[in-house]
Amino acid sequence: MADRKEINIPVADPNDPYAVPAAMPSSADTNPRSFDLADFAAPTRKQEDWRFTPVERIPEFFDPFTPSGATRISVSAIDGSPLDADDVDVRETTLGEDLSGTVGKPNDRVSAVEWNSATRAWVVELKRDTQRPVLVRVHGAGLDLDALHFVIAARDGVHGDIVIEHDGDARLAEGVEIVTGRDAHISTTFIQEWGPVSKHVANHRIHLGAESSLRHSVVTLGGAFVRIRIDQDFGGAHGDVNMLGIYFVDPGEHIEHRTMVVHNHPECKSRVVYKGALSGKDAHSTWVGNALIEPTAPGTDSYELNRNLVLTPGAVADSEPNLEIENGNIIGAGHASSVGRFDDEELFYLQSRGIPEPQARKLVVRGFFGELVEEIGIDELADHLMNAIDRRLARGEDEAMQTVLEEK
Amino acid sequence: MPTLEIKDLYASVETKEGRKQILRGVNLTVNSGETHAIMGPNGSGKSTLAYTLAGHPKYEVDSGEVLLDGEDILMMTPDERAKAGLFLAMQYPVEVPGVSMTNFLRTAKTEIDGRAPAIRTWTKELTEAMRRLKMDPKFATRSVNEGFSGGEKKRAEVLQLELLKPKFAILDETDSGLDVDALRIVSEGVNRAKEANDFGILMVTHYTRILKYIKPDIVHVFADGHFVKTGGPELADELEERGYDEYLPEGSDSESALA
Repeated sequence: MADRKEINIPVADPNDPYAVPAAMPSSADTNPRSFDLADFAAPTRKQEDWRFTPVERIPEFFDPFTPSGATRISVSAIDGSPLDADDVDVRETTLGEDLSGTVGKPNDRVSAVEWNSATRAWVVELKRDTQRPVLVRVHGAGLDLDALHFVIAARDGVHGDIVIEHDGDARLAEGVEIVTGRDAHISTTFIQEWGPVSKHVANHRIHLGAESSLRHSVVTLGGAFVRIRIDQDFGGAHGDVNMLGIYFVDPGEHIEHRTMVVHNHPECKSRVVYKGALSGKDAHSTWVGNALIEPTAPGTDSYELNRNLVLTPGAVADSEPNLEIENGNIIGAGHASSVGRFDDEELFYLQSRGIPEPQARKLVVRGFFGELVEEIGIDELADHLMNAIDRRLARGEDEAMQTVLEEK
Repeated sequence: MPTLEIKDLYASVETKEGRKQILRGVNLTVNSGETHAIMGPNGSGKSTLAYTLAGHPKYEVDSGEVLLDGEDILMMTPDERAKAGLFLAMQYPVEVPGVSMTNFLRTAKTEIDGRAPAIRTWTKELTEAMRRLKMDPKFATRSVNEGFSGGEKKRAEVLQLELLKPKFAILDETDSGLDVDALRIVSEGVNRAKEANDFGILMVTHYTRILKYIKPDIVHVFADGHFVKTGGPELADELEERGYDEYLPEGSDSESALA
C-alpha cells in the first residue's frame, strides 16, 4: 500500500516547483516566486491574494523605498541574559549574502518590495541545543518606513526556541526566512504588540528539513494594519509543522494571517490552528489557510482550523480554508472554520458569581486563547505568551484585578 | 437580620410563539436561616423564578419588586445581585472552556469580597472544601464545568456556595441527576455551608428525597406562576402521596397531569 505512489498528475519540477513559467502546482496560489519586483503587479482587491485586504490603506508598501533604519533590534536570552555564542550565532550581514535569500523567493508584491528595499539581514543561527529560548526584540522607533530581514537557521539535530517580539510604533516591511537541517526541532514565535497606528507587512518563508519539527506561533495583539503571510514546505520525509496563531482586533484595525502549507514529501504532518477575538466597529480579521498536498506526498496528515470570537457587534471576520489535495493516499486533510459570538450563557454564569461583564468577557477570551497556548508545552514560552495576552486583556484594569488575571 | 422579599412579581419570556408571562404574582418572604422548599409540577415556573431572581437576561420583569435587605435587586445586573448576597446553584451549570476552576473561583471571590483573598488561607480553604465534597484535587486545574459529570457539576456548585458565602441561596433542582451517595454529599455540603454562614435557602425541587437531607422549615406549592399553598414540612409528605394534580388548572396538559 504505502509504496504505491500516485504519479498520474503532471507536475512541475519537484526541485523547483515554483519555477517560472512552469505550471504552478497550486491553483490556489498562482503567484510566481521571484526576487524581481517586475514579476508582481501592484495589489488590487481583484487579485485572489488581496481579496480581503484593504489595499488602499498600505500603498507605501507597494514600491521600493529607502529604509529608515530606525527600528531597534536587540538579541538576548529570554530572561535578558547574554547568549552563549557557542549555542547561537547572531550575525548582521548585507542582504543577499550569508544565508539570506536562500529560503524560497518573494511570492507577492510586498515581499518583493521588502527584498528590494532592505539592505541588511540579521541571521540567527542555532548551532547546538539552546538551554533558554532566544529573544529578539524589534522596537519600532516611529512611522518612517523601514524594512527588515531575518534568517533563522537551525543546524542538523538542534533543539531550540526563538521568540521575535515587535513593539513600539512602526511602518515595517519584514522578511523572515526559517530553515532547518535534518532532525532539528525548533520553535519560532512572533509577537506583535504594535502601537495603534502601526502598519506591518511580513512574509515568512519556511523550509523544514527531513525528520524535523517546527512550532511556528504568531501572536498579533496590536497594530492598525498587520498582514503576515507564511509559506512553508518540507525538505524531506517525516517533517512535522505546527502553526499556531492568536489575534486580537480592535475597532478599525485590519489583522490578516495567511498560511500556505505545502506537503511535497511523504509522511509529513501539519497542523494549523488560528484563533482570533474581534471587538467593535470595523474590526476586521482575515485568515486564509492554504494547504497543498502534492502528488509527491503520500501519507500526508494535515489539519487546519480557524475560530473567531466576535466580542461586540460591528466586527467582520473573514475565514477561508483552502485545501488542494493531489494525492489520494493520505492519512487526513481536515479543516474547520467558525465565526461565533459570545456565549450569553457562559457570560451569565460568570456574572451570577459576582464577576462583572467586562471581566467575565476577559476570562472567556483568556480561556479561548489559553487552550491554545497550553498546547505549546514549553513553560517559558507559554508564560511569555500568556503574559503578552494578559497585558492586552488588562488594558485599563485596576491593580487588584490585574493580579487575579495574571496569576496562573 | 437579612431578608429577601418578593412582592407581586410578574415576569415573561420571549418564545417563538411570542411573549409569554410565566410568573404571575409571586409573593414570598425568606429570612436568613430559613429553608424554604419550593415544589410544584413541571412547567409551573419554578426555574423561571430562580433565574429571574438571579437576573438572567432571558426573563423580563413586568412588575413587582424583589428586596434584599430593603434594596430592589431587580434594578441590578447579575453580578451586582451576587455581590448583594444572592447565589443561584444552577440545574445545568454552564461549561466555560479554558477558564480553570481555580482562576474562576479566585476571581469570583475577589469580586464578591471586594478584595483578593490572602493566597495561603484561600488555598487552604479551597482544598479543605473540595476534600469535604470528595472532589478530586485535579478539578481545580480543569476548566469550569467542562467535561464534568452531572454529579461533579452539582458538587462544584455547592463548592462555590461554601466559598462565596451568600446571604441567600437558590438551589434550582440541585438534586436532579444525583445518585444516592452524591445526593448525600451535596446535601451535607449545603447544610455545612448553612451552618457556617446561616443564610436563607430557596430550594426548588420536584421530589421530596432531598428534603430528607436538607430539612425545610417551610414548604410551598408553586403552580401556574405563583405560590398556591404554604405549609410546614408535613406538606411535602402530602405532596409525595397525592401528587400535584389538585394544584393544576382545569384542562391543564402539563406532563405531571398526563403522567
